[in-house]
Amino acid sequence: MKTVVIGFLGSQLDSGGTQARWERWRPTVSLCQHEDLVVDRLELLHARPHQKLAEALVLDIATVSPETTVNLHLVDPRDPWDFQDVYGRLHDFARGYAFDVDRERYLMHITTGTHVAQICMFLLTEARYFPASLLQTAPPRRNDGDPKGSYAIIDLDLSRYDQLAARFARETQDSTSFLKSGIATRNGAFNRTIDEIERVAVRSRSPVLLIGPTGAGKSQLAKRIYELKKARHQVKGEFVEVNCATLRGDSAMSTLFGHTRGAFTGAQVARAGLLRTADGGIVFLDEIGELGADEQAMLLRAIEEKRFFPMGSDKEVRSDFQLIAGTNRDLRDDVRAGRFRDDLLARIDHWTFRLPALRERPEDIEPNVDYELARYAEQVGENVRFNAEARRAFLRFATSNEAVWAGNFRELSACVARMATLAEGGRITESTVASEVERLKSAWHGSATDGLERVLDAERLAQIDPFDRVQLAAVVDACRRSNSMAAAGRRLFAVSRAQRTAINDSDRLRKYLARFGLDWASVVGSGVREP
Amino acid sequence: MIEIDGSEGEGGGQILRSALSLSIVTGQPFRIFNVRAMRPKPGLMRQHLTAVRAAAEISSAEVTGDEVGSRELMFRPGAVRAGDYAFHVGTAGSTTLVLQTVLPPLMAAASRSTVRVTGGTHNKASPPVDFLARAFLPLLGRMGPRVSLELVRFGFYPRGGGEIVASIDPAPLRRLDLPERGGRVRQQAEAYIAAIPMHVAERELEMVGRRLNWGADERHARGLSSDVGPGNALTLTVECEHVTEVFSGFAEKGVSAERVADHAIDEARAWLASEGAVGPHLADQLLLPMALAGAGSFTTSAITEHFRSQAAVIGTFLGTSIGIAAGSGSTQVRVEDRQRGGR
Repeated sequence: MKTVVIGFLGSQLDSGGTQARWERWRPTVSLCQHEDLVVDRLELLHARPHQKLAEALVLDIATVSPETTVNLHLVDPRDPWDFQDVYGRLHDFARGYAFDVDRERYLMHITTGTHVAQICMFLLTEARYFPASLLQTAPPRRNDGDPKGSYAIIDLDLSRYDQLAARFARETQDSTSFLKSGIATRNGAFNRTIDEIERVAVRSRSPVLLIGPTGAGKSQLAKRIYELKKARHQVKGEFVEVNCATLRGDSAMSTLFGHTRGAFTGAQVARAGLLRTADGGIVFLDEIGELGADEQAMLLRAIEEKRFFPMGSDKEVRSDFQLIAGTNRDLRDDVRAGRFRDDLLARIDHWTFRLPALRERPEDIEPNVDYELARYAEQVGENVRFNAEARRAFLRFATSNEAVWAGNFRELSACVARMATLAEGGRITESTVASEVERLKSAWHGSATDGLERVLDAERLAQIDPFDRVQLAAVVDACRRSNSMAAAGRRLFAVSRAQRTAINDSDRLRKYLARFGLDWASVVGSGVREP
Repeated sequence: MIEIDGSEGEGGGQILRSALSLSIVTGQPFRIFNVRAMRPKPGLMRQHLTAVRAAAEISSAEVTGDEVGSRELMFRPGAVRAGDYAFHVGTAGSTTLVLQTVLPPLMAAASRSTVRVTGGTHNKASPPVDFLARAFLPLLGRMGPRVSLELVRFGFYPRGGGEIVASIDPAPLRRLDLPERGGRVRQQAEAYIAAIPMHVAERELEMVGRRLNWGADERHARGLSSDVGPGNALTLTVECEHVTEVFSGFAEKGVSAERVADHAIDEARAWLASEGAVGPHLADQLLLPMALAGAGSFTTSAITEHFRSQAAVIGTFLGTSIGIAAGSGSTQVRVEDRQRGGR
């Protein structure tokens, strides 16, 4: 294997005409003076003004290293400090060079040349345009009469350096642990997903789609991805989060894309909109399937072109944000039903990650319980622990088939917080656990029923906020007592009917039910109708 | 095949060079392993490779493992060919060590050879040209082969660029016995100096005058053309009736002229104080031709670890018995071929 060094002539460091030059460290000459390094060939790059010096170096190298063939290459950038020019010329040199990696090993000597040249050589080597290791030479530590100094060969294939590899592994572990909020999760599938998310988060700015049931931690994870990128200086802008189910009508457009003053009635001041606020940052759109058709179209354009029109504005604005979208259902169904744009889906499911439900990760319940206890302690300032027996009893129930965990981690969190609040003297006892288990069971299996479990399955129900649930239960109840949708509408919208002249109560009711995936037939199909 | 553990004894490079010489002369291939195993930079260095390649060239040898850093080398020599050779040593490495490697085979070749070597001629840790020309080669001539050595150009560290040319007239080796050096005939100190202030040479010679009591007419500053510089060396030549010895010191940056002189003077005084015919370096050099001659003897002022390693390698190839007997003022060395020694 022959050793070939490629490097720039050092117009200062390599110079010297008198005999005293032999007592000085001259990087290009000195690298040929090491007893344990034979340079078979030296490709010496130099600019036109240094032709004479280059020729003198050829003679000096022949003296100290008869083994070395020196080839001079005129590489003459117009401005040796112009990055683009130097990079271009080096790139040309690399592309025109007949590398023979089977017979020759290549070393890029980066000690000489302008800083710009050194950086370009590093970049071209890292990008493997130069299939080489880096060669760094250094002057002698003391002026001890031996001018040859030292050299180091640096292989950019870092995996070959155990210590560095270990450091990277540690850093990766740190960031995946960070993504998991420091919870030592044990579920293999979940951990693999997080590993993938970590790699994607660090390397990509493409949209990310998080699929998972309510409470599986989509929002938490999106926020963590943002913080991880921020720690790595990969985002400069803000993290902006919105649940699309809360966006309706004009306000949806304006919330996302902003508006100008007077864009619509009530728009008394201009508003930037969330997407502009997130310029250089991350937008997390949860429940993206709930987004209206107009908003979908605008969002698609905003993702693809990083530009959009605020409401009422005829001037486009720019915003370069990364999108993280969340959904609890399969958006492909929405595409088939015509509720979701297929081009938007194609754009946002570039990286799709499925977050499993808590029930699918029983082994992660225990670490999450510990995490929630620690969080409670931090928030309330009181350390709470389980009795050994209470802990066993709770975990036994929590990981059993009986435990539905319809609200996933959000529900677990609330459950632990309740037990911690009820704990006497910082101890969660068996009786606390027993009453909590009863509470959970009745919530899941509906002993104290509001009748909704007859029209919606447990999973759907779990996705409904208690705030909405009370209303829905009343609406369903009213429907059941009515003969027709129109009758139910009249009953439910009695007040606004009295105040307004014309209103389509049935349509309003139908739209409301549709939000929960319900229609008239499914609501009244079960139960007793009022005559 | 002869196996040599390169980690044993001292002077990893010397073991290798002697093995190369002996391998070619005897036609026996060898494998050396653990080459310079305990050194900070283990394995073969460039100067060793130059010797290996020179040895391979004169004997059309088959070589494996001849790479920098290699811990193992296999050398299978063919027949030695006389001829005109040129070898180039990098890193201002020693030209004399390369010459020393090819000399024993070429003086056993069928006809006359010339060997031109470029590199360093006055280096630390290797015999300077003056030593070979004045001390070693005349003794070798008394054993048969006539070798003349010309210093064409000085080569100092770190620049190198020196050149020596040796003409080698082969002849069978005869026994040589050197029981004593004989009376002192003349002596001279020479301070070579190139592109370094002259006072350095003057201070070195001043030390020689003070510590060896040599007269002004025996001390010479030899200014060299500055284009071989920078460089400086001091040699002390003591010519006796039967033996000439040469001791030397080499300048280094950061080492005072006085300390350079002290190094040479200390070596000379140690030899002068003893009754040994030769000094330790010359003893090392004589051993191999004497072993090839089959017999010989000399007295020396000191036996070094270097010498014992050299004796061990020679024993491995030739089966020669080398007897060492400490006397009062010197140590006697007897070389006998074991087969013939059994008479």
